[in-house]
Amino acid sequence: MLVFTRRRGEAIVIGDGIEIHVLRIGRDGVRIGVAAPDNVPVHRQEIYEQICAANRAAATSDAADAERRAALEAQLIARLK
Amino acid sequence: MTPRSLTAAAAMNETGERPDSERAMVTFPQGLPGFADCRTFVVFAAETGEFQWLTSLEGPAASFLTVDPRRVVPALRYALAPADLVRLRATEDTPLLWLAIVLVEADGTIAVNLRAPIVINPETMIGCQVMPQRSLYPVRHVISAPAV
Repeated sequence: MLVFTRRRGEAIVIGDGIEIHVLRIGRDGVRIGVAAPDNVPVHRQEIYEQICAANRAAATSDAADAERRAALEAQLIARLK
Repeated sequence: MTPRSLTAAAAMNETGERPDSERAMVTFPQGLPGFADCRTFVVFAAETGEFQWLTSLEGPAASFLTVDPRRVVPALRYALAPADLVRLRATEDTPLLWLAIVLVEADGTIAVNLRAPIVINPETMIGCQVMPQRSLYPVRHVISAPAV
């Protein structure tokens, strides 16, 4: 991992068009501004990882199996009233 | 592909067969979180017609059972960030298809991910899973406790 020391108002540039600015430094946290192109999603790491985990948990690898699909759908219908 | 053919794909024919022309292909330029290699998916209606399957055509075999999030919480309100609209090549007026991923847990609990819905622009057939910075809705919205 690259490690930089940056002061308030300073920034880091990543590749073409991604900038990370140090906006404010507090006792317990640092306020950071990120500028990135629209095709580069930017997320808080803990939220991103939570969504990754939720997606992995929800993915089925046997959906090609019509019976398995039907079983999952039936469960859902039963619960959706 | 047009919105109309997506609607066609979402409707089931009587024989239960789906001609290739009715399988709607959607591109996810950023992949799905946790499935970065999965960029091309087909969307097809569940046998019941109320739900959609999202099945990856590349990368690891991955299918997701999804439901219109407003079917779960009718008063649901989402606001897309301008960057999301750019990614979908959509405008504020583009009618978009919203899908929430269903999670069937080992004990039979069924939950729906309302925090990060999948949004598809039927005009460009581009999709992405949106994660608003702030959201009122949870990743695991339980719609049913385990069957007793």
